[in-house]
Amino acid sequence: MSEKDHKVSRRQFLNYSLTGVGGFMAAGITLPLVRFALDPALKVGEDTEMVAVAQVNELTNEPKRFDFKVNQVDAWYESEVSRSAWIYEEEGEIIALSPVCTHLGCTVDWDTSDDQPNRFFCPCHYGAFEKDGTNVDRTPPTQPLFLYDHEVRNGTVYLGRPRPQV
Amino acid sequence: MKWQAKEIDVYLQAKEYVDTAIIPLIPISWGDDIKSTVQMGEFITFISDELERQFKGRVFQFPPYTYLKSEKPEERLLKMNELHEHLKSNGFYHIIYLTSDVDWKQIEAELNDTLLWVPSIPLEHLDEKYRMETLSNQIKQMIPILTNKWQNNERESN
Repeated sequence: MSEKDHKVSRRQFLNYSLTGVGGFMAAGITLPLVRFALDPALKVGEDTEMVAVAQVNELTNEPKRFDFKVNQVDAWYESEVSRSAWIYEEEGEIIALSPVCTHLGCTVDWDTSDDQPNRFFCPCHYGAFEKDGTNVDRTPPTQPLFLYDHEVRNGTVYLGRPRPQV
Repeated sequence: MKWQAKEIDVYLQAKEYVDTAIIPLIPISWGDDIKSTVQMGEFITFISDELERQFKGRVFQFPPYTYLKSEKPEERLLKMNELHEHLKSNGFYHIIYLTSDVDWKQIEAELNDTLLWVPSIPLEHLDEKYRMETLSNQIKQMIPILTNKWQNNERESN
């Protein structure tokens, strides 16, 4: 067999294989880098994890306020955010309400207004909510207080994210 | 509400509900008292963030107003009154200044708005839980000042 019978010359063959191997090597190095750089942006909307907030034996029939912090991750930027919850126990059921008024987001307080006894009351525009979070008619809010996801492990109450009660 | 573009969208929708401006007054100096100056600023930032969280739907939290600690009281007053005029004519009914700088106390009577002076507490050595407790105790005392202001104002207008 002479050189002419080959469709690919020796030189071409070497060229092809070198670019091929070189390309793979370059891709092997750069692709993980790109992946690392973009990674936080690809994980959007991940559920916040459950946070320990209170002990079950601290809870009564009367709503009690608990403050806690959650880590909020917004792509590359991680920050600690203060949250609060009104927690009470009724007929063996634990109820954890978000104190954020559904009107414009002020923080509601329990039983602080003489006009709205035994209700959650918002000092900003006098919104009121029943103990279970239902908004009271003829006050500004148009939907109930949000309810936290919760679970109890070894006597400790863990809260997740607040969700609308609809 | 916070000094953020997306909060402004909410504000524009609900303008009639937001009538109170919260403005932290934070001194700047780089002399011997550098640490206490920074402490004042940090403390007031915490307080104003907490107040904003408490009253999100009715107050607008402004970015800190910073000034040189050596600035003369007359000059300070002049600037504050300009700010006052501007905010009053643009929809704010209550303007509340938050500060730890005791110098403002001397010219409080000449200010047209409410000055809340809170002595700063060094928080940097406290652990997380205790710090939150200290802050929320401070806030608890400030809440009635605001709510009473609003109630009096509504009684007048009724």
